[in-house]
Amino acid sequence: MADDGTGGTGRPEEEGAGGRAGHLGLRARVTLTFAIAAFGLSALMAGITYFTARATFLSERQAAEQRQAFANAALVQNALRSPTTQVNQLIESVDTLPGSRSVLRTGGQWYATSISVGQSAIPPAERALVLSGTPATQRFILAGTPQQVIGVPLPAVHAAYFEVFSLDELAGTLRALAIALAGAALVTTIAGAAVGRWASSRALRPLAGLTDAAVAIAGGQLDTRVGTGDDPDLDELASAFNRMTANLQDRIEREARFTSDVSHELRSPLTTLTATVSVLESHRTELAPRAQRALDLLDGDLRRFTRMVDDLLEISRFDAGSAELSLDEVDPGELVRRAVAAAAPVVVDGVRGPVTFPVEVGPGVEGLRLAVDKRRFERVMANLTENAAVYADGVTRVRVERQPGPIGGVLPPAEAIRVIVEDHGPGVPEAERTHLFERFYRGGRAGQRASGHGTGLGLSLVAEHVRLHGGRVWSEDASGGGTRFVVELPLRPDSLQPDSFETGSVGVDRSVPPPVSTGEVR
Amino acid sequence: MSRILIVEDDERIRSSMRLALEDEGYTVDDVGSGEEAIGRFEAEPAELVLIDLMLPGMDGFEACRALRRTSTVPVIMVTARSDTHDVVAGLEAGADDYVTKPFVAKELAARIRALLRRSRHEGEESAVLSFGDVEIEPDAGVVRRAGAEVHCTRTEFRLLCELANHPGKVLSREQLLERVWGYDYFGDGRLVDVHVRRLRTKVEPDPASPQFILTVRGMGYKLVV
Repeated sequence: MADDGTGGTGRPEEEGAGGRAGHLGLRARVTLTFAIAAFGLSALMAGITYFTARATFLSERQAAEQRQAFANAALVQNALRSPTTQVNQLIESVDTLPGSRSVLRTGGQWYATSISVGQSAIPPAERALVLSGTPATQRFILAGTPQQVIGVPLPAVHAAYFEVFSLDELAGTLRALAIALAGAALVTTIAGAAVGRWASSRALRPLAGLTDAAVAIAGGQLDTRVGTGDDPDLDELASAFNRMTANLQDRIEREARFTSDVSHELRSPLTTLTATVSVLESHRTELAPRAQRALDLLDGDLRRFTRMVDDLLEISRFDAGSAELSLDEVDPGELVRRAVAAAAPVVVDGVRGPVTFPVEVGPGVEGLRLAVDKRRFERVMANLTENAAVYADGVTRVRVERQPGPIGGVLPPAEAIRVIVEDHGPGVPEAERTHLFERFYRGGRAGQRASGHGTGLGLSLVAEHVRLHGGRVWSEDASGGGTRFVVELPLRPDSLQPDSFETGSVGVDRSVPPPVSTGEVR
Repeated sequence: MSRILIVEDDERIRSSMRLALEDEGYTVDDVGSGEEAIGRFEAEPAELVLIDLMLPGMDGFEACRALRRTSTVPVIMVTARSDTHDVVAGLEAGADDYVTKPFVAKELAARIRALLRRSRHEGEESAVLSFGDVEIEPDAGVVRRAGAEVHCTRTEFRLLCELANHPGKVLSREQLLERVWGYDYFGDGRLVDVHVRRLRTKVEPDPASPQFILTVRGMGYKLVV
């Protein structure tokens, strides 16, 4: 029950995340790969575009500047040949492009059109090269802006003409181009990631179907199959999955059928035994005292054996998913009182003793109608009573409450009924509480087990019955010491899915983890 | 002393049941097959028949239907399973009640007593009850519809009397189980449901949309006049 019920088999995502911490999922990896590829390609393209554009721009600009510089240099040279030329005026008169400035060296002196760009602004290497008679071009940074200087030696007049061009505008253009290209690269990267995500989701969509199917199977719907599409790559997986599920279902059903068949086969001899023992019982007085004692032992264990066969059959129905709810709408208080009375120990000859503990009905319970399978509820109370009789000194109190209870004297709409069964026994250690509802679990309580009682299936059946109702059961410490079992049954029967009982499921999501860690079983 | 016919193919179960029921004070006759049961019942009618559902040849359902064709004798079916399918099918075949193997002899005896008790009960309601074109004579154990006698089993008859005695009042399944079958609160409500269904086919003009025996959802049944 608890092993296949509350185990994490129904939550592959969670297990996967826990098992491969730090690793990315397939989808994330595909997305990342697409994004990186898109980024790499777009960065390469952007780089090539940028540098080609830059080289072209620069060489065109340089050619234009050189033409202008040489034209101006020729002008200056002609002017300098005339002895009347005022160098200052000459340099001012040189027709320059916007943003270019001229520097002239003649007669051992420097002349410039701009205060900021004088001889000192020209890199020394350029100066030396040009003054030694070689025309030269150099790019440099002046006050944070790129500049290009073209130097033309004028040996005929013992002068040198320099023209300094600002490349600021070109740099601005290139910057704008770079930004545009970076933006394009970013967009491409995002688009790549999106395509990756879409493609991986699309590729993984059949896997999502498979996951849903696996979750449904883990939840007990063994007849779940995945559809085989027209994709030959996935068909193989789907049909292998379906084969596996069919085998699993077959095997589980075979096991459940075996248990069911065994229980049924055992019923024939048990019927004979039961009838025979009752004949002996009615002739009890004719038996010797030793024979009477033997008869008592036989009778006691025959009852226990019968219970065990019944319980096994019940369990096999749950395992096969063929357990059915037969719902009646009843008054919760009356239901519990009747069930408690029916569960009271037999005193003599099939007559049940009086109920020795209080059965309290909390405020607001009266008037509610609970849809419940009475027979199953009666078994729940009988098994809890028996559990208390075996492991404690019997039940000390039973209480029926509505959930949620009154808040400040006001009753919110009722959602569930809680039946609380308390004993004054030694209690159950916290570590054992989750195991209490497992089949044949005795835990540390093995030594306390009274002989001739219990089948070891009682509490696990309680959990199954309650689960079938869409409710939950758990154990906690009772306020005055001892154990308190809480059975919570939902009031809305529509939250159950009656259809799914017919299709072989118990209709309750087994994969939902219990909200509190007090040994609760859903 | 009431005569009971046991139909059971397992010889050992048959013998032990016979012993147990004889101890309870009944005269017991037993046969091992459905075919034998029909022959024996015709030769020597019993006051109650116990039929095992799993019989070789003619199974328990068939045997029950065959008995029902000629008799309204109370029938308890004995089943190894309490699954809905078997129980409902058995009741629809005409059984009045069922017990599940292995049953306790005392419980079986109580069920038998409850079914046989009816004849003594019938003297109490003397007035003629009627609704629609249906007339019930509790004393005579006769139901007439448009003047023609309707054959009801004793359980159906008692259920009908119970409903007709409280016209317009909703009777819960628990109440009906207690009054008609003698069960406590935890009796099987399917007994009531199947018997109501059977009864409707006998007294309702259209059993699929009943006019007289109405289902009150979540509450029970009521008879409207």
